[in-house]
Amino acid sequence: MPHIDWPLRNGRPSVQVVLTLAQGKQQIVRELLADTGAGSLLSGFELILDEDDCLLCGGNPLQPITLGGAYTGVYPIYLLPVQIPTLGFSHDVRVVGVPSLLAGFDGIAGFGFLNRFQYGNFANPGVFGLQS
Amino acid sequence: MSTALSVQDLNRDLARRINAEARSNPQSPYANKFVGIANGQVVVVTDDLDDLARKLRQAEPDPTKTFGIEASRDYGEVQQVWGPI
Repeated sequence: MPHIDWPLRNGRPSVQVVLTLAQGKQQIVRELLADTGAGSLLSGFELILDEDDCLLCGGNPLQPITLGGAYTGVYPIYLLPVQIPTLGFSHDVRVVGVPSLLAGFDGIAGFGFLNRFQYGNFANPGVFGLQS
Repeated sequence: MSTALSVQDLNRDLARRINAEARSNPQSPYANKFVGIANGQVVVVTDDLDDLARKLRQAEPDPTKTFGIEASRDYGEVQQVWGPI
């Protein structure tokens, strides 16, 4: 089974995803807080990223969504190609575009995204990993 | 610029009408489907997000002239993000 893990970041679980810029097709890595409390399987989004990333990567706009909690209000959603190459993951994912992010992270991987994989520390308390 | 804006308005208006239809009529062909719109016209109705993205990009390379909706969803429902921001 393909597996990847990353060291905790400021003591918090993180995952790395690869995005592709629309102009020039350059790939960029984004480090996201792995947060099972962000959304649910029914929330209609999987990731939260800087809206600039969504636009620079040519995301297709979807109907905006209403958030509560850490983010409140109506936010745009984009359909964005997201990759985790080690896992062979390459899919279009619904991403909330926000104007500001948690310090130290480039965004949030919510429950809908994490639940695509087996996730956890896999018996190593210093890492957070995904397995497909 | 103004053309792009008017296309966005057309797309959003069509999406609103499709969602209203799907929410009021469970037999609607759009009910519980992902619906992709480009330049004011429906270009894909699908269960699959990858298919939605692929067909939107085939229909219109400029993403600002496309729009998508998950028909039947209540977009006014608040989705909680409990993370520490």
